[in-house]
Amino acid sequence: MLDELLDGTRVVVLLGAGGVGKTTSAAALAMAAAQKGLRVVVLTVDPAARLKDALELPDEPGYLHRVPLPPDASGTLDAILLDAKGLFDDLVQRLSGGGPLATGILENPIYRNVAGAFAGSDSYMALEQLLDIAEDERFDLVVVDTPPATHALELFDAPDRILALLESNALDYLSEPLRLVGAATGRLAQGILTTLVGALERMTGMHLMRDISQLATDFAMIAPAFRQRAKAIRELLHGDETRFVLVSAPEPHIASELLTFAHQVDQAGIPIDSVILNRVFNLAYLSTAEPLPLHSDPKADQKPARWSAGLARKLVQCNRDLEMLEDDQLRRIAQLREGMQAVGTHPEARLWIELPTLTPSPTSLRSVQTIASRLSRAAPDNADPVG
Amino acid sequence: MSTGRLVIVTGKGGVGKTTVATALAAAAASEGKRALLVEIARPGRLSSVLGVPSLDHEPREIATGLSAAQLDEERCIQSLIEKLVPIRMLSQRLLSSRTFQVLCAAIPGILEAALLNRVRHYVERTTAGSPDFDLVVLDAPASGHSVPLLAAPRSLATLSLLGPLAETLRRIDRLINDPARTSVAVVAIPEDWAVAEARELRSALAELEIALLPPILNQVWPRRFTQKEERALNAARADGSIDPNLLLAGDVFRYHRQQAQEAVRQLKQDSGERPMELPILFGEGMSLGDLEPLQVLLRALVIHA
Repeated sequence: MLDELLDGTRVVVLLGAGGVGKTTSAAALAMAAAQKGLRVVVLTVDPAARLKDALELPDEPGYLHRVPLPPDASGTLDAILLDAKGLFDDLVQRLSGGGPLATGILENPIYRNVAGAFAGSDSYMALEQLLDIAEDERFDLVVVDTPPATHALELFDAPDRILALLESNALDYLSEPLRLVGAATGRLAQGILTTLVGALERMTGMHLMRDISQLATDFAMIAPAFRQRAKAIRELLHGDETRFVLVSAPEPHIASELLTFAHQVDQAGIPIDSVILNRVFNLAYLSTAEPLPLHSDPKADQKPARWSAGLARKLVQCNRDLEMLEDDQLRRIAQLREGMQAVGTHPEARLWIELPTLTPSPTSLRSVQTIASRLSRAAPDNADPVG
Repeated sequence: MSTGRLVIVTGKGGVGKTTVATALAAAAASEGKRALLVEIARPGRLSSVLGVPSLDHEPREIATGLSAAQLDEERCIQSLIEKLVPIRMLSQRLLSSRTFQVLCAAIPGILEAALLNRVRHYVERTTAGSPDFDLVVLDAPASGHSVPLLAAPRSLATLSLLGPLAETLRRIDRLINDPARTSVAVVAIPEDWAVAEARELRSALAELEIALLPPILNQVWPRRFTQKEERALNAARADGSIDPNLLLAGDVFRYHRQQAQEAVRQLKQDSGERPMELPILFGEGMSLGDLEPLQVLLRALVIHA
């Protein structure tokens, strides 16, 4: 049950390719946990405008916003939109202790262009934000929606990448550009490099070399603090209180990507705890759900229309097509399950949650709640999937 | 000099960009054109659709008239730098230094320019005066990254530059902004989130003065009932004279049709152009042969390419 996923858990990280409903799943999972009495924060990276509206989030990244819950919910839910650039600035401020050092870094034109790329982009920043919230005593659980990644390890590598960069003395090198090509390269080479740097400077309108060397000097001052943060993030990710959930859809290429993903994650020694499968076509579910919102024109319906044998045949054909669609998906899901079993997923507490397609798209708080309640009712993997 | 044409396929993640790009290139090949399908560093997907173990930086013919390649970011940067720094030893040194990578990251748009420069190279490559490829189809990154990709050379090129780099950027920009050679196909599916994103993307691209093909609406369910039949279904629902499961099956088709009509209406609203509708493929796999029904429809787009 969902309780097992949440038991002793402080962080739930959702992984998956773009376009599979990861953000919606994160919001619904967070809401389900809040309804069970936990104080939850959902950290989202790039929600669709409609989901933002659904959670009643203002368009203001970097701040916690309280999401209204139904009266019977005993916990709380806050949502925060990732503000990668603002967060990095903030981090520089904190680590440098404010003052002229911080100003020097933040106003450096190189820093302004490079902050995102340098930090391993949104992935690293999501983790930075995660660390902050995970350390915050006011909350029990953080649900993290990660940026769409083609390679699962991008996320886990992010802290190591920034550590490697800090430890490679790359910044020291930058302060002396000619060491780039080595002293022995000779005059001609140095001449060409100077020309190249000149071209780059003209091109960007920046004093590249001066700015880089200044940034390197300033950054060296806060590097040790950075190293500590990166280490803390790594420990949090690999710790016992963090669980990983894969989100996918049963479409052919997405399913095969999921397995590749799972393999990569497994090789990095990260156990996948649960799988959420979105957009599963399920006739049995549809027959019990609210009727599909078909447009109707009562006036036109007044006109007589006779039932015909042709119409009956068409309906039978529709039904047959949908059953075929369902069968194809079932086969694919079975393959997925088998594939996931081959990957060493977390053996005890694995949840396999299937969310049916044609659930309302998350345009209102209520529809997110509908998905949340389906998640709450999800059974452990050995029981029947949610219908 | 005669060169080939470039079609860039983009849209939100999960709308079937790779499927559409592949069908488009295959359609061109079936018309007797030499088509090249290019994927930007997204390992796995395209090669699995095409049924080949892997793809490379260098185009490889995988079916008659259909070649495929996968761009490698590092190698794109490399070819750009080798062009700018013609002394091999020096360019190698530069490229192998981690510091240089940081430097590259510091210059906004340089990676994008390098990727597009490689694409341009494919488009403009000729043998004995005629282009190697009549049509290059770029399976571009998801929409969020497409606009920066396509805007990069233009914003770099507006700076008054000298030398080989400037010339390279100008050539990319000339290709991207030449409606006779380059156009962008934005793909959506009949879901509100995908349609909203497609509309935003199209207006952003129009602002960049990049030529747009009609929007492509993928995974459209077939229309199964006439209006009269729909009335008969409603009547049967009202008096309960029909098996609810059969009625539901009909409703699922009707609902999806309704979604598709709404998507068409919205996509048409901006440009007046009716989107090209591609049918949903039931029970098909995603290999090249399965895409045949899409190819037939997409031929119209590539015939004059």
